[in-house]
Parts: sequence; structure tokens; C-alpha cells
Amino acid sequence: MPLEGDLVILREERRDDLDFVRAMRNDLATQAWSKTLPPDYTEPMYTKRFEAREFSYDPREGRFVIIHKDTGQRAGYISYTELERRFATTIGIIVARAFWGTGVALDAQEILLRFLFQELGVRVVRLWTHSGNPRAAELAKKSGFQLSARTRQAIFKGGRLHDNLILDLLREEYFAQHPEMEDHLPALVLET
Amino acid sequence: MTWSGFRSDDVSLRPFSPDDAPVLEAYLNQPDLEGRRYIPWSFPEYAPLSTQQVEAILQKWGQAEDELHLAVIHRETGDLIGHADCEWEWDPHNPSVSVVIDPGHQRQGLGSQVLRLLLNYLLEQTPAHNITAWIASWNTAALAFAARHGFQQAGRMRRAGIRHGAYFDTMILDMLRSEWQPEGGGTDAS
Repeated sequence: MPLEGDLVILREERRDDLDFVRAMRNDLATQAWSKTLPPDYTEPMYTKRFEAREFSYDPREGRFVIIHKDTGQRAGYISYTELERRFATTIGIIVARAFWGTGVALDAQEILLRFLFQELGVRVVRLWTHSGNPRAAELAKKSGFQLSARTRQAIFKGGRLHDNLILDLLREEYFAQHPEMEDHLPALVLET
Repeated sequence: MTWSGFRSDDVSLRPFSPDDAPVLEAYLNQPDLEGRRYIPWSFPEYAPLSTQQVEAILQKWGQAEDELHLAVIHRETGDLIGHADCEWEWDPHNPSVSVVIDPGHQRQGLGSQVLRLLLNYLLEQTPAHNITAWIASWNTAALAFAARHGFQQAGRMRRAGIRHGAYFDTMILDMLRSEWQPEGGGTDAS
């Protein structure tokens, strides 16, 4: 069963995706990083990164290419990192320019969140962005994330200082947003 | 000989050596420091550490790049009484700091002296612009300590962990370069 939503499918990264991923990282508008990366990443660098990934039944990160169902085109890239198993993880998303404003980002984010909460059983998902990228924060808020921290002027990017933003979504908040799903994982603590 | 930038009235900071392991192990395993030892994340925060684990921590600290992990030495006795850390792995523009003092030497103003040395270092020797401190929400003494030294509340990372049957958050505090007061920046009451 693929990780599938209304508009997109999330599938594993493949060797022939690397040039697509490289191109998004070399575009300052799509590299989705809170500090500017030099737009000089090469395909051999991505190949090396791709090949460095080892088989594991306990990966601490997941990387997916977002495939647009209607066209079969690659629409972006979504990942989770720093997985603390059964507890917490952090997500990140990059959307190709051609798919801005089409709803694929929200669909991909929702698919990944469902996987993280329903399959990996995490209790919280985090997301970092900055005040110069309001679309990222808005996208997160559409899935129920709340802004929990703002460190002032912590980001310098595009010639300006921006605040670093940390958003998070608790398991209970996620399921409250999704009454069609039931949480069968018992609470860890009695919240007061 | 201690570098002058790493010496105050009562403490000095120096690199760790493998010989420090027994003293480090002794104070890291004091129950009073549970959950606030500021050791690498891959080591258990809420359980006693073995000798091998402490040696591995020292090795990790010693090899770290874009991080500084210094032994806090009580100048009068020469004893190792804590560790001082700063890291700027993400971006030297935005480093973080932490100070850990052996519970037996707390409440003597030593932590304040150490924090000032770290802030002096970051602001006088690096491009730091915003300095953060990451403190568990239950650690009210450290939160008050950071506030006394001019750190401002920036929010929290919710559900940072579970402790004694309850979730806790990590409070994030920050200080801009322009807010740093090299002399008398807060009361010395740690």
C-alpha cells in the first residue's frame, strides 16, 4: 500500500530522482533551508548521499519524493529526520515551483503525518522554518501545527534577518483534527 | 596556563583530558543533576552513566567540531567542578550555550562567572548574533538564572521528553548581541 493521498503519492527516493532533487536544492527559492545553501550541489554529491544510505530496520529518518498522481510528475520532496522512536520527529518539505499553489504540499504533509502518527506512533511532530517564509508556517498551521517558539533574528537569509520559528503538533491535537481516525495508542501520561 | 579569556575571579575553563573521567563521572551521576547534565543526546539523560559512557562522552566532546566543551576549574582548589558548552553547528550566527556546575559547588556565583566567560567568548571572538539557551521547563532554577543574565523567553519546544510520569517542554531563551552587557549584565546570584 503506497503512501497515497488525494493528489500525490509519496514514494522512496530513486537514483533517477537525484537530478530533480539537486535542481530544487540549487534554486534559492525552493531549497527550503533556513540558511542559504550555495547553489552548486552536483549530481555526484547527491549520488554519494544516496548510496551512503544503508539498509536498516530502524532508520531514524525517512525521505520521499512527492509524485503528482494525475501527471506522474515529481512535485517535491518530503522527509522526517531526528526520529526519537515512538516519541518525536521533525519534518521538512520542498515543493517544485511548477506545483506551488496546487495543494500538493498540504496533501503530502497530511500523508506523512498520518504515517508518523499511525505507523511510527510518535507523540509529537516538529517543524522548523523562519519568518521570511510565511507560506511554510501557513502550510503547517493548516495541518494543525502551532507556533511554539520564535527566536529573534536567528536567521540571516536573502539579505535580511528573520526570526527562527519552531512549530509543533501533538498527537492529541492531530487526532482531534481527524475525527475519522481513532487513536488506539494509549496516552503515555495523564495530562493535568 | 589558562587563556585570559577563560578565567574569572574564581573559575577558569580549560579543555578536558581523559584524566578528568572519574571526577566527571562522579558529578554527572549525582541525582541532583538528573535531566540537566547537558551531555550528547545519544546518552541516557535519566539514568546513571557507566565509566565507559563517561569516557565516550569525553571522547565525543574532544572530537566535536563547531562546539566547545570546557572543564570548569575552581581556581582556589584546582578541582574540576563542572562543564561549559557552546555549539554553533547550525550557524555561527546563532549558537547556544549551557553551563553545568557540580551540585556541591552551586549557589556560589560560579555558574554566573562561567556563563559570562562563554558569552564573552561568543560575542568577542565569534560572529554570534543571537545566542540561545535550551532549558527543561521543570528546571526553574536554570530558567531564573538565564533570565537574570539577560536571556529573554522565546517560547518552547513542546513535549521535549517525559520525566517522572509527565511530559515536559524545552524552554528556549535568547539574547541578541545588542542586549549583551559585558559588565554587570544581571545579578551574580547563581
